[in-house]
Amino acid sequence: MKRAVLRRREQPLRGGQPLAFVLGLLFALLVGAVLLAVAGDPVLETYTRMWDRSFGSAASLSSTFNRAVPLALAGLAVSIAATMGLWNIGAEGQILFGATAATLVGRIGADWPSPVLIVAMLLGAALGGALWALGPGLARAEIGVSEIITTLMLNEVALRLIRYLENGPWKDPDGFGFPQITAKPDGAGLGVLWERTHIGGLIALAVIFGFAWLVNRSVWGYELRLAGASPKTAAYAGVSLRRKVLGVMVLSGAVAGLAGGIELTGTAARLNESISNGYGFAGIVVAALALMRPSGVAVVAVLFGAIQVGGFSIQSLGVSAAVSNILQALILLGAIGAAVLSTHRVVLVDRKVVA
Amino acid sequence: MIQPAVELDGIWKRFPGVIANAGANLTVRPGTVHAVLGENGAGKTTLMNCLAGVYLPDEGQVRIDGVAQRFSSPADALAAGIGMVHQEFRLVPTFTVAENIVLGHAPRILDMAATEAEVANLAERFGFDVEPDRPVWQLSMGERQRVEILKALWRDAKVLVLDEPTAVLTPQEAVELGEVLRRTVAEGRSVIFISHKLDEVVSFCDEATVLRGGKTVASSISVADANASSLAELMVGEASIEPVSVSVSMPGDPALVVKNLSVLDSRGLPAVQDVTFSVRSGEIVGIAGVAGNGQRSLTDAIAGLQPVKSGTIEVMQADVTQASPQRRFRAGLAYIPEDRVGVGLAPKLPATENAMMREYRSLRRGPLLSWTRARDLCDRIINDFEVKIGRRDAPLAGLSGGNLQRLLLGRELSSAPDVVVASQPTRGLDVSGVRAIQRLLVQQRDEGTAVLVVSEDLDELLALADRILVMVEGRVVGAFDARATSRVEIGEAMMGATA
Repeated sequence: MKRAVLRRREQPLRGGQPLAFVLGLLFALLVGAVLLAVAGDPVLETYTRMWDRSFGSAASLSSTFNRAVPLALAGLAVSIAATMGLWNIGAEGQILFGATAATLVGRIGADWPSPVLIVAMLLGAALGGALWALGPGLARAEIGVSEIITTLMLNEVALRLIRYLENGPWKDPDGFGFPQITAKPDGAGLGVLWERTHIGGLIALAVIFGFAWLVNRSVWGYELRLAGASPKTAAYAGVSLRRKVLGVMVLSGAVAGLAGGIELTGTAARLNESISNGYGFAGIVVAALALMRPSGVAVVAVLFGAIQVGGFSIQSLGVSAAVSNILQALILLGAIGAAVLSTHRVVLVDRKVVA
Repeated sequence: MIQPAVELDGIWKRFPGVIANAGANLTVRPGTVHAVLGENGAGKTTLMNCLAGVYLPDEGQVRIDGVAQRFSSPADALAAGIGMVHQEFRLVPTFTVAENIVLGHAPRILDMAATEAEVANLAERFGFDVEPDRPVWQLSMGERQRVEILKALWRDAKVLVLDEPTAVLTPQEAVELGEVLRRTVAEGRSVIFISHKLDEVVSFCDEATVLRGGKTVASSISVADANASSLAELMVGEASIEPVSVSVSMPGDPALVVKNLSVLDSRGLPAVQDVTFSVRSGEIVGIAGVAGNGQRSLTDAIAGLQPVKSGTIEVMQADVTQASPQRRFRAGLAYIPEDRVGVGLAPKLPATENAMMREYRSLRRGPLLSWTRARDLCDRIINDFEVKIGRRDAPLAGLSGGNLQRLLLGRELSSAPDVVVASQPTRGLDVSGVRAIQRLLVQQRDEGTAVLVVSEDLDELLALADRILVMVEGRVVGAFDARATSRVEIGEAMMGATA
């Protein structure tokens, strides 16, 4: 009697991840086709529209890339924390607080020259995100409090803070009594490459490569890899695990905060509570699909962004929001499910033998 | 002749780089408590795992009540009446005693009150004092062990295998365990009792089988006819490896000085108590003792991996009691930890990054690392210490134990340290690996380094060391001149409890 079990591969399959992603995508599109047909929607037209709106034109690429930026940074934030075995599931809150800090800078420096203002706002955003992760980092490093709980709870705090600012000190005097924050200053718009594609993508790439370079070339990065690979060995070599945990959490928060700053300067008109738009949580999925490797985050983020953009676009064809959401979820599930095959192999074993 | 309850015949079990069992035999008569004795690494646990279905032996036969069996899982072994209590308990802390006992053996509809009553009955029959409705997390280690034993008896195990059961018990609990075991065998069941504590074996076992180096060296000897010192002699045996040639040492000034050192373990209990000794330049001092008598805490404290409660540690006249591990390394202290993989080496990282672990701070240019210099350092260690390695940028994971140890020793010795602390440096290595490592340590000594070696292998210590200290329960209980002592004398000191 045989049965199939999953065995972890000693090394992840080289190039297996993109292949798995494509396989998962095809599988999801097949299942999705059945779903669309049952719901009475035109299958081919729907898929054509998804493609057109995500990759089909310069404008579509614009939407996809702009969406990929916060996804990539949030994914990087999660994978940075993961190098030390930590789970930062508070990127959402760090994005929000990063954007809040950038707004504060914008209010102070509203009449600064535009480039200065933008750089200051982005730095403020990174600082804000770092600050938002500092508490969980300290609590984890010093007394071992689970960062999963603290980062998650701080998401809510950041959200409430924005609601308070909306209704209180930062309420827009020209908002006709509507609770909204004053629009960002005129000089606070991020530079544009083409259509609506802002330079946030370049910033994100620079941060991703910068981190990879830091890890591979610096003393700090070597210590980080050592601590991540074998904490006891790191302690033996004299690396302070406490400081590494704290450093990694703060850096992770800064990267997420920067995403908030880019969203504010790049695409949003003003700070509001939906500026994080679930990117912080989607970042966990992005990081997982990239196998927690910073290098894979950018590619995954673009595909993820495309799925979201394309998924929403078909609603204008009359495909219901529910079907569109299911389709997005299917594609993700397919990709994640197939990704297992690049790290695991399916083997047939005798029913009785225990691994 | 009565049919033996258990017969293990010519069991071989090999692991990568290590032979755990090399044709071991064991015969257990029904209704007896049978001790399996041997030093650490003698293959006791592996042999029992072959009996309990955890491992499938590479060669050899397992017979239960005369019937040949091939267990491919613990469940198979249990079905044939073999119940094993492992060193680490396998209980669900939030479940009650009764829930743990019936777990996996519960009827579809579980009447907890009735089950608790049955468990209470079973416990009473064997003289256990347990409350079936208490959650396991509230229990002491001794009580948890009783739950494990009850679990096996609930499944009607005919043969109970206990792996070092007294290691986690207080002396009083150990005596109670002995009574429980007597009652168990009185019903015609058998108990296999793995231990290296001779006084317990003498007080509650009927027969003993002694393993050494994966082989059976004495089979089913009657404990009534033996005594602690004859068993000790069997356990440590004759010199199995031809000793490396050791010239007479010319010791100089003390290089490592430990004064009144006390260390607490992670639970806050005393692990090392008021230990004082010194190691001079050009001398090898050995520390002998049964595993778990504070050797690990002693070396970890010297290396700076475990905090010191009181006392001082000096390396080359510098007080390093509170210094960080890397300051101690710079003061001239090299450390070969007991866990060469996981502490001494990071197996997920490549050889280069393991080789540079001590020196990386001096390999930098500004905030950046010079990989060229790191690779040079790695190549030098690989060449000088004959590390056989495929690619230096591949993770270490595939290397054999001997090569891992060469890499580790190479890294620690290449900086010409004044003091080398080596914990179990040859454990688990094959003969050539053992000799290579021993030769390196002697060479260090001859070059004037002070060497402290902790080992459970008495032959090794007698061959290498100039002086031997014996540790029992965190204290140094004896010091011997290695040239003028005997295996038996040290063995008896190690079993301190009997003296």
